Amino acid sequence: MRKYFYIYKATLLEKLQYIMNTLLGFISFFVMLFIFFNLWNYIYADATQLISGYTKTQMIWYVIITETLWFGTTNRTLTNQVSQDIKSGSIAYGLNKPYNYIYFIIAKHFGEITFQFFLFLIAGTVIGVGFLGGLPGFNLMYLPFYIPVFFLGILINSLIRLLISIFSFWMEDSGSLHWIYNKLIIVVGTLFPVEIFPLWLQPVIRFSPIFVVTYGPAKLVIDFSIEQLFKVLAAQTAYVIGLVCLLAYFYQRGVKKVNVNGG
Amino acid sequence: MLTEARNQLKVILLSVKYNIMREMTNRTTFLTNIFFMILNNSTFIIQWLILFRLKNNVGGYGFNEVMTLWGFGASTFGVAHIFFRKAFELPDLIINGKLDAFLVQPKSVLLGVITSATSTSAIGDVIYGYIILVVFNFSISNLFFFTLFTITGGVILTAFAVITGSLSFWLVKADILSNNLISVMVSVSTYPDGIFKGFVRLLLYTVIPTGFAVYLPVRLMIRFRLEVLLGVLGFTAAICGLAVLVFYKGLKRYSSSSLMSARI
Repeated sequence: MRKYFYIYKATLLEKLQYIMNTLLGFISFFVMLFIFFNLWNYIYADATQLISGYTKTQMIWYVIITETLWFGTTNRTLTNQVSQDIKSGSIAYGLNKPYNYIYFIIAKHFGEITFQFFLFLIAGTVIGVGFLGGLPGFNLMYLPFYIPVFFLGILINSLIRLLISIFSFWMEDSGSLHWIYNKLIIVVGTLFPVEIFPLWLQPVIRFSPIFVVTYGPAKLVIDFSIEQLFKVLAAQTAYVIGLVCLLAYFYQRGVKKVNVNGG
Repeated sequence: MLTEARNQLKVILLSVKYNIMREMTNRTTFLTNIFFMILNNSTFIIQWLILFRLKNNVGGYGFNEVMTLWGFGASTFGVAHIFFRKAFELPDLIINGKLDAFLVQPKSVLLGVITSATSTSAIGDVIYGYIILVVFNFSISNLFFFTLFTITGGVILTAFAVITGSLSFWLVKADILSNNLISVMVSVSTYPDGIFKGFVRLLLYTVIPTGFAVYLPVRLMIRFRLEVLLGVLGFTAAICGLAVLVFYKGLKRYSSSSLMSARI
C-alpha cells in the first residue's frame, strides 16, 4: 500500500508545479455555472417558487456542487492514458513492474485530481456565495459526513472510467463509451436533481451511478438527513465492491490478450 | 486568382478525402464513433424536454427552435472538425515545433496545417444536425439555409480556433486559454441567447462569435432578413481575414525544434 501512497504523493507534488494550468481551466467551469445561473434565473418566476421541492438557490447550489465534482475530477489519465497504453502496447511496461497497473493508475489519478478538486471546490464556493449569498440550512457540523460520501463518489466515478478504458482490450477505441457515460453524468446527473425527472424514471436513476457519483453527495449538502446519508453510503459501498470485482475480472482477462512485437 | 483558389479548394478536398480513407481502415471503429456521437448528442434532448416541462418558452425560444439551435451547434462543430480539425490542435503544433513539415509545401501553410487531420466522430455531429432539422424544422428553404449556415458557422468556429491557437506564438500558456475559449464558444452555442443579458450578450457577438455562428442563423431561419444574412456572410469573411493575418504574423516568430516528422 505504501508504494501507491508514494505514487500518489509524487504525482500530487508534480501537479503542484502546474497550478496555472488548473487556474486557466476555471474559465469553462465559470462559464457553465454562469449559463445555469442565467437559465434557472429565467425559469424560476421568483425566489420563493419551488420546483420539485427545490428553491432557486438550492437548485443553483445543486449545479455548483455537481459541476465541482465533475470539473474538479476530470483528467486524462483514466481515459486517454489507459486506452493509449492498451492500444499502443505500452501497458506491457507496467506489467513487469513491482506494482499492480490498476492500483498505479488509481493512485496517479488521485494525485492529479486532489489539488484540482480543492481548487474547484474553493472556486465553486466563492462563486456560490458571491452570486447567491450562501446556502440556507447548510451546517458545517455535517462536514465529517460529507468527506466519506464525496470521496466514495469520486472513487466510484474513477473506477467506472477505468473500467470503460479497460474495454480497449477488446474495442480499439473506448472513447465512444466514455462519451456516453460522460453525457449520462452531465445531462442527467449534474444539471438536474433526480426529483425533477418523471416519476417513472426516478427509480432507474436512483439505481444508476448518478445516485452515488453526483446526486447523493450534492443532495446531502443541499438538504442533509441521516436517513439519506445511510442510503447513499450503502449504495456507494455496494458500487465500490461491484466495480472492484468487475475491474479485476476484466483486467485479468484483457491483459492476456496483450501482444507486443519488440519496440 | 480564381484558378489558385480552385486549386487550393481541390487540395483541401483531397486532403479531407485521404484523411477519411485513413480513418476508414478500421471500419468498425469508424462507424461506432459516428453512431455513438449521434447518440451522445441526442442525450441533450432529455435536458431540454425537462426544461420545457417547467416552462414553455426559454429565452424566447420554443422547443423546436432550441432543437434547431442544437442542430446548428452540432453541425457547425462537425464541419469544423471534419475539414479543419488541426485548427483545434494548433497550439500543440506551435509549442512543440511541429509546423516544419508544412512550411516547405508549395500551397498555403495555414490551410495545409488545419486540413491535415479529420475527426470521424464529427461526421456524426453533422448527421445529427440534419436529423434534428428533418425532425423538428424541415422545409426546403430551411434545408438550404441550414447547409449554408453550417458552412459559415464551421468556418467562423475554425477561424476563432486559429486566432486563439495562434496566441501560442506569443504566450506560453495560450494552449489552455485557447481550449477554454473554444469550449466556451461551443458550450454557449447550445443555449438560447435570450437567457444572457447586457455585457455577456455583447461578448457573444464580438469576442466569442457564437452570435454570428449560431444565434443569427437560427433567427434567419425563423424570419428571413437580408441585412442579417449579409451581416453573417460579412462577419465570416472578416474573421477569416483576421485569422489569416494573426496566424502569419505569429508564424514569423515560429522557431523549429528540429523535430523529425513525416506526413503519411
